[in-house]
Amino acid sequence: MNDTSNAQEAVLELGQITKEFPGVVALDRVDLAIRRNELVGLVGENGAGKSVLMKIMIGLIQPDGGTIKLHGAPITLKNPSDAIRNGIGMVFQEGSLVPNLSVTENLFLCHEADFRKLGILSLRSMRAAARELLTQLKLHIDVDLPVAEITTAERQMVEIARLLWLSKLYGQENPVLILDEPTTVLADSERETLFEILHELKDRASIVFISHRIQEVLENCDRIVVLKDGKNVTEMAASESRLLKIEQLMVGHSFSVDRFHRDGEWRQAEKEILRVENLGKAEHFQPLDFTVREGEIVSLIGLVGSGKEAVCRCIAGLEKADTGGTFLDGRKLPGGSPSAAVRAGIGHIPIDRRSEGLALMMSVAENVNLLVLNRLKAAGFLSPAREKKNAHHWVAECQIKTPSIGTLCANLSGGNQQKTVISKWLSSRVRLLILDHPTRGVDVGAKDEIYKLIRKLAREGIGMLIMCDTLEEDIGLANRLLVMKDGRLVKEIASSPEQKPTPQDIIGLIV
Amino acid sequence: MTEVSSKGGRLTALRKRFPAPLAAVGVWLRRTGTVAQILSLVILVAVFAIGTKGKYLSWANIQTILSLAAIPAILAIGLHLTVVLGGIDLSVQGVASLCAVFVGLLMRNQFNANDVGLWIIPISMGVGGVAGVISGLLNTGLRIPSFIATLGMSWVLYGMAVYINRAVNVIILDERIFNAINGMVFGVPQIAIFAVVLTIIMQFVQNRTQFGRYLYAIGGDEALAQQGGVKVVKIKIAVFTIAGIIYGLGSLLLACRLGVATSRMGNGLLFPAITAVAVGGVALTGGLGGAKNAALGALIVTALNDGLVLMQVNPYAQQAVNGIVLIGAVALTLDRKKLGFIK
Repeated sequence: MNDTSNAQEAVLELGQITKEFPGVVALDRVDLAIRRNELVGLVGENGAGKSVLMKIMIGLIQPDGGTIKLHGAPITLKNPSDAIRNGIGMVFQEGSLVPNLSVTENLFLCHEADFRKLGILSLRSMRAAARELLTQLKLHIDVDLPVAEITTAERQMVEIARLLWLSKLYGQENPVLILDEPTTVLADSERETLFEILHELKDRASIVFISHRIQEVLENCDRIVVLKDGKNVTEMAASESRLLKIEQLMVGHSFSVDRFHRDGEWRQAEKEILRVENLGKAEHFQPLDFTVREGEIVSLIGLVGSGKEAVCRCIAGLEKADTGGTFLDGRKLPGGSPSAAVRAGIGHIPIDRRSEGLALMMSVAENVNLLVLNRLKAAGFLSPAREKKNAHHWVAECQIKTPSIGTLCANLSGGNQQKTVISKWLSSRVRLLILDHPTRGVDVGAKDEIYKLIRKLAREGIGMLIMCDTLEEDIGLANRLLVMKDGRLVKEIASSPEQKPTPQDIIGLIV
Repeated sequence: MTEVSSKGGRLTALRKRFPAPLAAVGVWLRRTGTVAQILSLVILVAVFAIGTKGKYLSWANIQTILSLAAIPAILAIGLHLTVVLGGIDLSVQGVASLCAVFVGLLMRNQFNANDVGLWIIPISMGVGGVAGVISGLLNTGLRIPSFIATLGMSWVLYGMAVYINRAVNVIILDERIFNAINGMVFGVPQIAIFAVVLTIIMQFVQNRTQFGRYLYAIGGDEALAQQGGVKVVKIKIAVFTIAGIIYGLGSLLLACRLGVATSRMGNGLLFPAITAVAVGGVALTGGLGGAKNAALGALIVTALNDGLVLMQVNPYAQQAVNGIVLIGAVALTLDRKKLGFIK
């Protein structure tokens, strides 16, 4: 090895990595090389395959095909601890520090051997080592504090310190650190500090930086890799790239708006169903106003952390807003009460239907009837005949493919589970439906059926507030787009069937 | 990085607001997580001291409290380990009963001719340990919630104990052990000293060994601990085993204190142990609190009951008070954010 080639030498090389999940190709022959002492930015939309790729790099997921080479030699990474022994570690978005243990305890967890004498740990030497590690990252905190009591930014630093220490322990001099969207949870000043540290760390590590914020990637990374739909789109030096170009690459041009909106008639209704007035929640989103009309599909667009989820949760009554209120058909809803929202006619289809939307261990019929048991009574008791009738009606109406209405929901496919959730709300004669990523984890064919079902609901006059997996989906389905960024409603864009905006028009507003 | 203010500034604030020695005590108390416990003990003692016109504070009464608190404290130290893990151990009564039966059969007694002498100590602890291993295996191997695994074990062991012993009261005659346990050192009951020594050893293990560290890591977040490389199954089985061993020890001590061993001896031991754990501030959600909390909890509960007796409160009302104390302690200490649903 000589010094001149070092800079170009790939520390970690992924070649033709493929990973398939049932119904989805998450990664399709993706290449990625990480060189010594460089900061690589990895960008792409939600669902572009960034996180799957990262998980493969640390051995959390095994690829279906392709090779991983470390310092030129092929390697199989069995699990995250295997990866860190080889000098590859990741700072997870949700963090991987145990909250009740102190900073010191977390730093050396499971690697206390060096501080042990006759089975007894020397707390003094552990503390000293912890202070030294953190000082290198310019972090001066009380190392005895439980991790739950330090800030997110500090936690990230502690995680980075742990990874650096571990790779040193295993004799890896140029570790690969993977940071999964570290800046989404940071304030501006903290973000700057993080980049300062990352630039310093480049001397002794390679860093893979995942982010939604293209601007910061452009400013800080040496090289940018763009992923789209599980494929490499391009790779370029940061100095050659521009914001606009990357945005366009991220979104691509291959989408067909047709799929979403050409089927089914669409009529513009005037009657307002939902009115949101001055609704705000500190630390989540600024006060905002908007309306949803009868039969209208309104899409909330924004990155994770833009506040759109919190808006929906407030409307559904799952969280209480600080200011303002929501009005359904002109009547004000009491905030913070999901049951009041349901009674008023607001349905909510959560992103995680397995844990929140459906009772998986109950049958299709029981799930469909869950919200309308009152209507299915005869002489004060539930009438099996009426239950059956109602369930059959909605199974046919929503084309739920199930062997019988008595089948457990756990045994249905993702798409049919989703249709069951939707029919549950339809059966309850809902006025407004909040759909949180309705096609997440659903295969392509079933996606189309869900699009059709959503259209049909709109024709029946139900107002909908949706959040989708991709911009194409948002644009295709919605009549109107509300763009949110950093907790503010920044723009409202019409998206009529005749004149759909393009993702390129919008992506600049949200990142 | 510049000094980033953290939520943990509370300790720093404490240091700034109070003079150094006072703040040091405050910081230490908060670190140990026993502020509320020590305060409530002080208040309790003050109330009873006034209520009984000082009788409560007599050395004789304090001796009574200390010797009565010792066994619940020892059992609670075993039980709290499983709570720190995020589980629970309800097998105390069954384990204690079965160990008591072994004690009655093997120590010098009025019933048969056996006399194993001091070997009874490892035997009793061993029986408890085996029971603990089985609970641990049920919990980790068969993945049965610890609540059910240990409750089931309790009845199995109790059944075995009654089957062997037929509810006979076996009078113990081994003077050596008997005296060692019931004696006094400088006016302090020896059994209380045993409890204090056990507390110190266990707390040291919790603070200063890898086992202790992993115990808290699992209690804090089992998935993250596993991801970090903690051998979760091993630690869990070890914890249930140690708990069982401690119940075996507690059972032997109790038999020697009473001078009688019987299969019914375990009856009524679970409630004080759990109350002690909860009152001591061991979080039922796991990951917080140590042996000192369990022991302190036992002391508080015993001091409370002793006071109620001295004030001649109706015994049924005393029971109700204990129930209220248990619920109240959990209500005050439970971190509800950590629990998705209350089942």
